[in-house]
Amino acid sequence: MQQPSTSRTISVEINGEVCERDVDARRLLVHFIRDDVELTGTHIGCDTGNCGACTIHLDGQAVKSCMLLAVQADGSKVTTVEGLAGDGELTPLQQAFSSHHALQCGYCTPGMLMSASALLEQNPRPTEEEARTAIQGNICRCTGYVNIVEAIVSVNA
Amino acid sequence: MSTTETTTTAPVELQKGHIGQSIPRKEDKRLVQGQGIFFDDVRRHGMGYVHFVRSPHAHAKIVSIDVAAALALDGVYGTLTGDEVAIQTDPFFEMSTAPGSEIKDYALAVGKTRFMGEPVAAVCASTRELARDAAELVEVEYEQLDVLVDAREAVKDETVMHEDAGTNTVWSGVFDWGDWEAAKAEADQIVTIDELHFHRFSSTPLECSGALVEYEKATGQWTLHCNHQMPGVGAIWMAPALRTGIDKLRFITKDIGGGFGNKICLHPYYVTLCLLSRKLNRPVNWTEWRTDQHTANAHGNERWFHDVEVAVKNDGTMLGFSVKALDDCGAFPRYEPLGCIIWAQVTPGCYAWRNIRVDFTQVTTNKSPVSPNRGYSRMQHLWLTERIIDIVAAELDLDPVELRKRNYVKTEQMPYETPNGCVYDSGDYARCLDMALELIGYDSIEERRTEAAARGKLLGVGIGSTLDSGTNNFGQSQLLNPELQFSGNNEAATVKLDIFGELVVTLGTVPQGQGHETTASQVVADILGCSPDQVHVRPGHDTFFNSHAGFSGTYASQFAVTGLGAVKGATDALRAEMVALAAAVLQCEEKQIELADGFARIKDGPPEAALPFMALGAIVNANNAFLPPDFNPTLNHRFVYRPYFGNVDLEKKMGKLTLTYATQIHACVVEIDRETGVVEIVDYAAVDDCGTRIHPQIVEGQVHGATAHAIGAALHEEFVYDEDGQLLTSNFYDYHVPHALDVPALKTAAIESPSPFTPLGSKGMGEGGGGGIHCLCSAIQDALKPVGKPIVYDSCNPSHRVWSMIQDPESTRANVSVVPA
Amino acid sequence: MLLREVEYARPSSVEEAIQLLAAHDGARALAGGQTLVNVMKARAASPDVLVDLNRLDELRAITVSGDTLQLGAMATYTQIRGSSEVEVSRPILAEVAAQIADVQVRNRGTIGGNVCSNDPTNHLPPLLVALGASMTIRGAGGERTVPAEEFFLGVYMTVVAEGELLLSVSVPAAANAADGFASITIGRDGTCIANAAACISEDSVRIVLGCVDAVPVVLTPTGTDDDSIRRAVDGANLEPPSDVHASAEYRRHLAGVCAVRAVQQARARGR
Repeated sequence: MQQPSTSRTISVEINGEVCERDVDARRLLVHFIRDDVELTGTHIGCDTGNCGACTIHLDGQAVKSCMLLAVQADGSKVTTVEGLAGDGELTPLQQAFSSHHALQCGYCTPGMLMSASALLEQNPRPTEEEARTAIQGNICRCTGYVNIVEAIVSVNA
Repeated sequence: MSTTETTTTAPVELQKGHIGQSIPRKEDKRLVQGQGIFFDDVRRHGMGYVHFVRSPHAHAKIVSIDVAAALALDGVYGTLTGDEVAIQTDPFFEMSTAPGSEIKDYALAVGKTRFMGEPVAAVCASTRELARDAAELVEVEYEQLDVLVDAREAVKDETVMHEDAGTNTVWSGVFDWGDWEAAKAEADQIVTIDELHFHRFSSTPLECSGALVEYEKATGQWTLHCNHQMPGVGAIWMAPALRTGIDKLRFITKDIGGGFGNKICLHPYYVTLCLLSRKLNRPVNWTEWRTDQHTANAHGNERWFHDVEVAVKNDGTMLGFSVKALDDCGAFPRYEPLGCIIWAQVTPGCYAWRNIRVDFTQVTTNKSPVSPNRGYSRMQHLWLTERIIDIVAAELDLDPVELRKRNYVKTEQMPYETPNGCVYDSGDYARCLDMALELIGYDSIEERRTEAAARGKLLGVGIGSTLDSGTNNFGQSQLLNPELQFSGNNEAATVKLDIFGELVVTLGTVPQGQGHETTASQVVADILGCSPDQVHVRPGHDTFFNSHAGFSGTYASQFAVTGLGAVKGATDALRAEMVALAAAVLQCEEKQIELADGFARIKDGPPEAALPFMALGAIVNANNAFLPPDFNPTLNHRFVYRPYFGNVDLEKKMGKLTLTYATQIHACVVEIDRETGVVEIVDYAAVDDCGTRIHPQIVEGQVHGATAHAIGAALHEEFVYDEDGQLLTSNFYDYHVPHALDVPALKTAAIESPSPFTPLGSKGMGEGGGGGIHCLCSAIQDALKPVGKPIVYDSCNPSHRVWSMIQDPESTRANVSVVPA
Repeated sequence: MLLREVEYARPSSVEEAIQLLAAHDGARALAGGQTLVNVMKARAASPDVLVDLNRLDELRAITVSGDTLQLGAMATYTQIRGSSEVEVSRPILAEVAAQIADVQVRNRGTIGGNVCSNDPTNHLPPLLVALGASMTIRGAGGERTVPAEEFFLGVYMTVVAEGELLLSVSVPAAANAADGFASITIGRDGTCIANAAACISEDSVRIVLGCVDAVPVVLTPTGTDDDSIRRAVDGANLEPPSDVHASAEYRRHLAGVCAVRAVQQARARGR
């Protein structure tokens, strides 16, 4: 039986790069990503798991990185907003967000993109209702969601 | 889905090239890649993390604070308490006259705590987690005091929160315009409403507040990497409190995750960070968490309206109204009592009421302080005017559409002077209303009502008519306190042409998503005849850019006027120099020079008689020996835009309080489940008129956002306190902000009535005046007509309140009466 | 946001998990974490040791054997929602799983975590009681099976004792069962203000109310008509909690509305 411990060495593949770090067991995955790995595109907008600004892909699934401990990601593959496209390029989804004015302050945008890209992986041509359901866990306080929904639906339309 | 109908109702002077086009936003590329730089993304070597020790009580004496255990924890750098703050700083400047001016507001609670969550001490440690661990070890002994959560109780002064002031009243005064008594005498009916309540909520920007503060010992200067949205005024609060000069505070903002006014009153937190960074001689980071933000940062103003009387003629002509307003600003005034006058920018709302009396009082309570919140103070007042219209319509059995149209200020009356001397610059409210009604399918509303009733649903239609007054005249503060040395408004920008032809723009504004980089580049491009791609607008604000003025910031619906006015002024000056320079180089007259396609060239001249911008930049900056001795172009211009207002009349409390008035008319259809009170929005439309639109897509985005805020506020969002002053909605579980399934498809349309008073014909429009709140209250009241005709008396109507109105309409109806005059 | 210090272990077998839970005072199983981690972020709870179940694939299985649908305690809402086993054997479970929170939470949140946290506003406790589910729990002393009706003890309290682990939830398979679920939520698909699950069998109807008490409240009305349902709710003398979203009176009323709607849905499905 392994002994519980207050810290561990973990190895996480983030955007294709393996990151090995010692982390406290209590450290949230979002703080690991932002403060330890210094990928600051993943944001924090609440402290109760409601806002979705911290959404990432963990082994291909959209999850909120504020409701996971960093040690839980040991051995997993994480994709953050920085990993969506090659450097300097935009994915069609990112491009659609810009052309449909689906962002204003841009703070919720990384989380939105992660939720929306997970949807498009499974369902390339979502209806408006499906798009809304996919981003229900992501709060935006600027756009009223209208243009975000339009952008998502437009990608493969 | 959106339909945009654009009609220009007056000529636009500026030739449109890029202005008026929805070009791709310059901000987007970095933001969609997660490369935006928000304050918490900035790191410094040796940086400490700050956690605040907060009061669990709403009102209590602080008997003692013991930080020993916290300091003993490994990794803790230090602490700060109210006692130190009281010694090292002066209380923040208060804007009120006495008694409000006597209130002492410090960065941390001194002696007593006046609201749940008020910071009483701060701890700095090597990690975020440790800082919180240490904060838990700070022992504070409290002696609880009686709590005031209801402004109606606070005004009685049975318990007094601020001993220095001796009363809970911050400010009070009577505004009396026209002749209310005569209006009453002339009226056929007086409609009275005993009490209405505008609830407490805020826009809750998704990024909470915070800063990374560095202190430079050698110069005594602080650098704040922060998200303050009004640093000009922030510095006016902070520097005297810190007993330093304003030059010692450098504010840097890059990307900001929403503001909506909620990031204006950050000075208490920032002063604490300044003191800690100096005391500990290290950079300190403070990241506010959502629960902290809800509990102890900035709520919107809560307001009661009592003893409303409305003078109405039998034909529906409304002569005026009288009201006692009681504003609840929470524990400290901070930006207040400005809210006691800001509403007066829109005194008669959209209506031609000529006789208005408002008896206004503001009190403190043991709740979170307030700050400006999207629609600041005007939204509350506009809600009152729209409530009045719908209640009068219901009580006198008048058609709410006709009643509005009869009383709206007419387009042919523009510019229209209100009873208190404000000038509505342009607009066509009736036309906007018609468009909104068409978008929601108003023609077939009675059939739909019947059809919904068959499904057990109560269908209602609502209207919200609002004005978004923009570009404040800060002289209105003198109507509250004649001693205040604030008046007018200003904003600065710099534009330069650099050595390789780079056009570099710096703004004094502090954008939080409004696309300033993009719209500024459109203006520069059109003036200089180049592409917006050639214009580099520096993201964010930096005090060291020297491009700010005293009122710099992004607030109060003004960028399209003040910010772009400054950009235009600076660019016009640059253009004149570029033309002069080109004429000197090309040996021709200035009037022969045109700027186009990125060249300064001789109009209809040979191809070689053309200088690329790069050549101009290079000549002035690096190759200037041949220029005549008396010709010294800099190609670097700072312009401060200043709108003209004139003085306010302190005697009559009149004057031009704002420069522009954008219109938003909202209309919606709701269906209410009569068994549960759950409200569903089935149609929604907003029609906007903000004069010349620089970037229609950005304008429409602001309309969407303001509408979503209003929908949230009208149906869900409320800061609810229990009788002990405990906030019951301190997080996104209990404070429900609309998500994508809660917001219906919004239809929008626009007309353009350019402002005759602004450089570009544009008007500020970001706040929207709370149109959706008025509109939903209107629709709910309309829907509930068949179940006893209850009166919507509160601005927030979650299902439980709607259900109560269905159960007991009479108790709401007891609130209103019609008295033949 | 910032948790108190905690010890963490990630067992590789159910046996090891149970040993870890038994060996450490103040140890708690970490399932999806969509409640527990939040509670820890608020420092409202601070277990000394977290035993992470997320690598125990054997707890994620959803299987049908005979007339029983068995859901591993670590089956996520997303799994339940997309499971053909659930679809063919008790589709109401998938429908309700799809209403819980949001996509990201459904990707992590588990049936076991949902029932073990027994937040009275959760969807699954009343539903599982209505469906006649049973919970299989293992501890050092062996395995036991408890009917859902006896599983919930109080707010955040269940019969799962310290050192024990919930392994699975079993539900009678009945593809065409007359099941219904209705809720009134904060916003669309938000937290429940009131909810009710209903299950009509040949000779009886069973309604279970959530949100009105510390544990799900079971009603057995005399008939499936709306009046019988309302009488049963009235007769239960509910004393629901009051909060910012609903007074006790309003919540009691909503319980009745949800009960009727759940039964109506069940009736329609049973046809």
